[in-house]
Amino acid sequence: MFRRILIGLVGVLIVGVGAFAMLSWRSAIAPVARPSPAGFAPDLVARGEVLAGAGYCATCHTAQGGKPYAGGYPMRTAFGTIYSTNITPDPETGIGSWSEAAFQRAMQQGVARDGSHLFPAFPYDHFTKLTDADVAALYAYFITRPAVRATPPANTLPFPLNIRALQAGWKLLFFRDGPLTPDPIKGAEWNRGAYLAEGISHCGACHTPRNSLGAEERGKPYAGAAIDNWIAPPLTKANPSPVPWSRDELYAYLRSGVSQHHGTAVGPMSPVVHDGLRKLPDEDIRALAIYLADVAGSDARLAEIKPAIERALAADRAGAGAQTDPAARLYNAACASCHYNGGDAVNALRPELALNSAVTLSDPTNLIRVILYGVTAPEGAPGVVMPGFAAGFSDADIARIAGYLRSTRTSGPAWPDLDKAVATIRAQGNHE
Amino acid sequence: MTSFTINGRAVTVDVEDDTPLLWVIRDEIGLTGTKFGCGIGMCGVCTVHVGGRATRSCITSVAAVAGAAVTTIEGLDPAGAHPVQQAWLALQVPQCGYCQSGQIMQAAALLKDFPKPTDQDIDAVMSGNLCRCMTYVRIRAAIKQAASVLGSDATHG
Amino acid sequence: MARFHNSDALSQALTRRGFLVTSVGASLAFGFPSAAEAAMDPATPDGIPPAPAGPAFEPTLWFAMDGDGMVTVNIIRAEMGQHVGTALARILADELEVPWDKVRITHVDTDPKWGLMVTGGSWSVWQTWPLFSRAGAAGRLALIEEGARLMAVSPEGCRAEGGAVVAGDQSIAYGEIVRRGTLTRRYSPEEIAKLPIKPASERRLVGRPVAALDIPTKINGTARYGIDAKVDGMVYGRPKLPPTRNGSKVSAIDDSAARNVKGYLRSIPLEDPSDTVPGWVMVVAETYPAAIRAADLVKVTWVAGPGAAVSEKDLQDHGTKLIAQPDAGAVLDTGGGDTQAAFRAAQSSLEQTYTTATVLHFQLEPVNALAFEKDGLFEIHTGNQWQSLIMPTLAKALGRPETSIVMRTYLIGGGFGRRLNGDYAVPAALTAKALGRPVKMVLTRADDAQFDSVRSPSVQTLRMCFDKTGEVTAMEHHAAAGWPTQVMAPFFMPKGLGGAPYDPFAIAGADHWYAVGAQKVRAISNDLANATFRPGWLRSVGPGWTNWALESFIDEAAHHIKADPVAFRLKLLTGAGRNAGSAPSAVGGARRQAEVVRRAAAAAGWGSALPPDTGLGLATSFGQERDMPTWVACAARVHVDRKTGVVRVEKLTLVTDAGTVVDPDGARAQTEGAALWGLSMALHEGTAFEKGLVKDTNLDTYTPLRISDVPELDIQFVDSTEDPVGLGEPATTVVAPAIANAIFAAVGARLRHIPITPEAVRGALPKG
Ligand code: FES
Ligand code: FES
Repeated sequence: MFRRILIGLVGVLIVGVGAFAMLSWRSAIAPVARPSPAGFAPDLVARGEVLAGAGYCATCHTAQGGKPYAGGYPMRTAFGTIYSTNITPDPETGIGSWSEAAFQRAMQQGVARDGSHLFPAFPYDHFTKLTDADVAALYAYFITRPAVRATPPANTLPFPLNIRALQAGWKLLFFRDGPLTPDPIKGAEWNRGAYLAEGISHCGACHTPRNSLGAEERGKPYAGAAIDNWIAPPLTKANPSPVPWSRDELYAYLRSGVSQHHGTAVGPMSPVVHDGLRKLPDEDIRALAIYLADVAGSDARLAEIKPAIERALAADRAGAGAQTDPAARLYNAACASCHYNGGDAVNALRPELALNSAVTLSDPTNLIRVILYGVTAPEGAPGVVMPGFAAGFSDADIARIAGYLRSTRTSGPAWPDLDKAVATIRAQGNHE
Repeated sequence: MTSFTINGRAVTVDVEDDTPLLWVIRDEIGLTGTKFGCGIGMCGVCTVHVGGRATRSCITSVAAVAGAAVTTIEGLDPAGAHPVQQAWLALQVPQCGYCQSGQIMQAAALLKDFPKPTDQDIDAVMSGNLCRCMTYVRIRAAIKQAASVLGSDATHG
Repeated sequence: MARFHNSDALSQALTRRGFLVTSVGASLAFGFPSAAEAAMDPATPDGIPPAPAGPAFEPTLWFAMDGDGMVTVNIIRAEMGQHVGTALARILADELEVPWDKVRITHVDTDPKWGLMVTGGSWSVWQTWPLFSRAGAAGRLALIEEGARLMAVSPEGCRAEGGAVVAGDQSIAYGEIVRRGTLTRRYSPEEIAKLPIKPASERRLVGRPVAALDIPTKINGTARYGIDAKVDGMVYGRPKLPPTRNGSKVSAIDDSAARNVKGYLRSIPLEDPSDTVPGWVMVVAETYPAAIRAADLVKVTWVAGPGAAVSEKDLQDHGTKLIAQPDAGAVLDTGGGDTQAAFRAAQSSLEQTYTTATVLHFQLEPVNALAFEKDGLFEIHTGNQWQSLIMPTLAKALGRPETSIVMRTYLIGGGFGRRLNGDYAVPAALTAKALGRPVKMVLTRADDAQFDSVRSPSVQTLRMCFDKTGEVTAMEHHAAAGWPTQVMAPFFMPKGLGGAPYDPFAIAGADHWYAVGAQKVRAISNDLANATFRPGWLRSVGPGWTNWALESFIDEAAHHIKADPVAFRLKLLTGAGRNAGSAPSAVGGARRQAEVVRRAAAAAGWGSALPPDTGLGLATSFGQERDMPTWVACAARVHVDRKTGVVRVEKLTLVTDAGTVVDPDGARAQTEGAALWGLSMALHEGTAFEKGLVKDTNLDTYTPLRISDVPELDIQFVDSTEDPVGLGEPATTVVAPAIANAIFAAVGARLRHIPITPEAVRGALPKG
C-alpha cells in the first residue's frame, strides 16, 4: 500500500536551484555503536510495538516474502520505483548506527542520519506530530528487533529526481513541523483520536488529496483521493455512503475490518486494519472512531440510518425476482447469493451494496477492483473470501454488473465508459 | 505453499498460488464431491464453505483461503445427514445429481442467514446455482422442509 | 436358461471385488482394475459393487440373487438423472416378488453380451418392460419350484411373497433356497415369452413410491461421475479446438510460451483415422489447471475446414431456400392424399413459417474421458448414452478391434442427448495412445460449448386449407434442420416415400394424430448445418422444433376460422382411421390425446375470465414416435408487460398419459424437468452461429432457466394400466407453443421464433 508518491517531484526543480545549496544542507549525526537491546525497558519496547503497528511501518518496510522491516518494498511511481529502506538495527544496511536523536530527526524532520533528505513517501509530515516520548518508544522497538543485513535495490528514479537535496524545496513549500495542538473544546477521547489519526496513523496520507507537487492539500483534509489504483473515499461529509459512518460503525470497521452497513476493509485499507491497528487497545480505536465520526459530521446524521437501510433493502428485493435483463441475470447469478439481504436487516457478512461506497462513489474503481480480484481470507472479513471474477468474466460482463448496481442501487449518475475502466484496471493487475 | 483446513483437517498444499481451490480440492486432496461446471462462478456446482460462507471454489485461488476453514460436501455433516441432506433425500431432489453438492452447500449456508426463508430469499440466494436437470421445484420445497426441521430443533433446544 | 452360477470366473471376480472394497479409500485412485469389475453400483460410495454373499443364482443375463436373497439387477442404460436403474429394477423385482430393500443395481460395461446399448428417446422403460417383467417372472417360478421341493410341498400350493416362497403356514426365504437348493429349471425363449405378467392390481413396486437407489450418494459427494475417474499415473489433457468442427488441419504449433507453465508436458496434434476430431491439438500437463493454463498459451495455426464463415442467418436462409425447392428432402408416409389438389380446391388457406434458434446442451458436467491401455485392453472411463454407437468409431480411431476396447460406465452429470454422441471419447483415446500413458481429458465449459453437438436451428413452413364450412381439408409441414442421425448414425434412418432416407429424430412430431384430410410431411436435411457443425440429439430432438411449429400453427388455424383453439383440437383428434392407434403401445390413439387436452384445459380453467394482458394458451403432443406415444397437454398462463415486452409465465398445467407409470415420483421429476426445459428454450436460452462457431460459450451470456424463473407447476398423470411409455422428453415440446399461444391470447402478439425475447414481443404487438 501507500505506493502513491510525489507525482510533483518535477515541479520542485522550479523552486530555484540556487537556493538549494543552503536550504538542503543538514549535518550528519555521528554514528553510534548499536545500543544493547537490554538497555531498553520492556514496557517502552511494547509501547513502541503498538505504535509501529498503528503506523503500518511493517507494510512499507517489508518486501514480499522478506524479513520484517528489512526494506526493499517497491513503491512504483510514474517516474520510477522507490524502494523502502532497511529499518532493522543492522549497523551497515539498517539503522543500527543511528542514535535516538538521529532517529527522532528522521521521524520529525524527514532527514536521514547522514543529513540527506528523505522522500516524503515516508510520511514524516505526519510523524512530526508525534510526542518525543512516542518517538522514543518507536526507537526502542526498532533498535531491539533482530538485525537483518539487507540492502534494498537502488531506486530507479531518473536524474534529476533522484537528487535528494531537491526535497528541501518541497519541505520549504509544504512541510510544517511540530506537535499537534490539542483542542481544549473537545474531550480527551477526541483529542486522543486526533493525535492518532493525524500522527502515527497518518490517515490523511491516503484520504487527503494531494496537489501537483504531491503534498496533501491543506484546504481539503480527508476529501478522498486516488491511491495505488484504489480510491480512498472521503472521510468528510462528502462520503457518499447513504448511511453515515457513525462511531459504532467506525469502531467495528477499524477494530475487526467488518462493519454492518459499509462493508469490509479491502484493498490498501485491509492491512491498515488487520496488521496496523490490530495492537492498539480498544480505547484507542474508540478514540479514532470518535474523531473520525466528527470529521464526517455523522453524529448529526443518525436519523438518516434507518430510512437509508430501508431503501437499500427495498432495492435489494426489487432486484431479486425473475428478470430478463441480461445485466440483472448476471448479477443475480454471480453476486446475489452472497450480497442479497432482502429482509429487514443487513447482515455484515452479506455486504449490502446499495450502502457500500464502492457503488456510491463517483469513481467505479473500487467496485471494479473487488469484482475482478476478490478479497482473500486474511483481508476483509477474516477467514471469509470473496472470489474474483477476473479469469472468467469479460470486461463487458464486469461493466454490465457495475453499471447495473450503479443504476439500481444508487441515485448517482451512470459511470461513463465502464468497459474501458475495466480494461484499464485489469491491465493494472492485482499486485499488492 | 498454502495451509488451510478442510473438513477440520489441516492441509498444506504445494501448488501455484493462483491455482483454483476447486482443483486443489478435487485433484490434490482427492475429494471429488465438489464439481466443475462453468469455471467462471456462474453455476455453483463448485460451492464449498469458506469460513462458513458459501463460496465458488472455481474462481477462488488457493492462496486466498490461506488460514481459512474450508468445508466440502463430504464434511458438511459427519454422517451425511445434515437436515438439508435429509430433506433432499426425503423429497428425492437429485436427478443427475451433478449440481447437488453445490445446491446443498448453498442451501445449508442460506439457512444460516435466513432461518425462515421466503420464496424471494430462496430465489435470490439460490439463483447462482444452476440445475440443468431443473430440479428447482424440489430444491425449493426441500429448503423449506429443512428450514422447518431446523426451526423446530431450535425451539426444542 | 436358469442355472446355478458358481463358475471359477465368478469367484475370481468376487475375490477381486473384495480386494477393491478394502483397498480403495475415498481419496485414493478409483478405477476398475480389469474387465471383471465392469459394473458400477450407483448406491455405493465410489460406485464399487458390494461382494455378493456366497454363490449366486443367475437365471438370466439380467439379474443374480445371492445367498442372502439380495438381488443385483444389471442395467445397460446410462444413469443421468432419470433414476433409470430404479425404474427398471423395480419392474423385475415386482415380478420376482422381492422387497425393495433386497434390490441392488449395477450399471454394466460394454461387454457385447448386453446387446445394443443406448439410452435415449425415452425408450428405456418402454423397451425394458417386457424383458424385465418376464425375467422376474422366470426367476420367481424357478424359486417357487425349488422352494416347494425344499419344503416338500407341491409347487401348485405355493406362492411367492416378500422374498420368500410361502405354502400355507410354512415359508422359505429366497436366500435360503439359493444357499440350499439346486436351481436347475430352464426356460426356452418361447416359454419366457409366454410367461404371464401380473395383473396391475397385484403390483407391489410398480407404480408405488420407492426410494431411488442412486440418490443417497448424490447428496453426500460419493457418487462417481466420469469427471471423477482416476487411475494411477494419469496426466491431464485439454484440447485446443480448431476453428471449424469439420475438416480443419493443423499447420503449425507454437508452445514456447506454454513451456514456462509448471507441469506442462506436450502439445500433441491428434492423428484421427475416424475423422471424429479433425484438427485437434491436445495440450497435456501433470495437472488440469496446468493444462488449462498451458492451452491458453499454446498457439496453433490451422487451415480451417468448411463453414468457417457461416452465420446463424446463413443457416436459416439456407433452410428457407431448401423448403422452397419442392423436390428437396424426403416425404413421410402419412397415409397419402393429394394436398396440392386440396389447396387448389380450398375456400381459404393459411401458411406460416416458424424458426428456432441454436440450442446448447449445456449439461453441467463438461464432456470428459479417461483413457488408457492395460493388459491388452484399451479402457475408456466415461459417462456415455450410446456405447454401441461410439465403439466402432473408437476401434477405427485406435486401429484395433472393438473386442479389445471396453467402455466403463460412470454416472452422467447431465445427458439430454449430448452423450448419445460419444465423440469426446475419441480424442482422449488418441492422446493416451500417442503418449503411452493414461490421459484424462476434460473440456472446459467454453470448450464444451464450442464442441457441442448443438440442437440445430430450424426453419419450418406449415400450410393448411379449409373448405367452405371451415373443415380442414389438407395440411403440409415442411421442416429443414441439421440432421444428427444422418451425420452420426445413418444406418438408423428409415426411408420415406420414393425411398429417400430421412432422420426420424429431425421430423418426428410433424406426423401428428390430428385428422386433417390430405397430409404431407416433408423432412429436409440442412446440408449447410451438417457441414458447419455436428448436429446433436437434444432432449426430445425434432419435436422440440416440429411441435413448436405445429402447435403454434394449430392455434393460428383455429383463430383463422374463428374457432376456440381447444375445441378445434378436440374436433381434429377424432381417433379414426390412421389415428385410431394400435397395440401394444398406442392403444386408444388420438382419443387419448383428446383426453389429455380436455383435462389440461379444465384444470387450467380454460375459458374463464383473466386479468388484463394475461392469457391462457394450450398445446399438446404425442411425444416422438407414433408407435410409442406419450400423450401430453400443457396449458400456460402468462402475463405480458406491453411496455417492456417481458413475458412472465405464471403457471404451467401439464397432463400426461404415459400408460402405466412405473415410477410415479420419477415420472413427476422427469416431467418437471422436461417442462422447465421447454420453458427455458421458449424464453431464456438460445445462441447463434457466428463465423462457424456458437457465440455463447458460458453462463455469462448463455442464460438457461434458474430457480427464480420457475412458475407454479400443476402436473397430473392419467391413471392407466396400458403399457408404459417414455417420460423423459415429451413435456419439453409443449411448453413453448403453449406460451406463444398464451401470449397471443393475452395481447394479440404472435411469436414465431424461439427463444421469445422481450424485443420480439414488443415488435409483434398489434399497432394502435
Ligand atoms: S464451476 Fe464454479 S460456479 Fe460453475
Ligand atoms: S440434478 Fe442434474 S444438474 Fe441438477
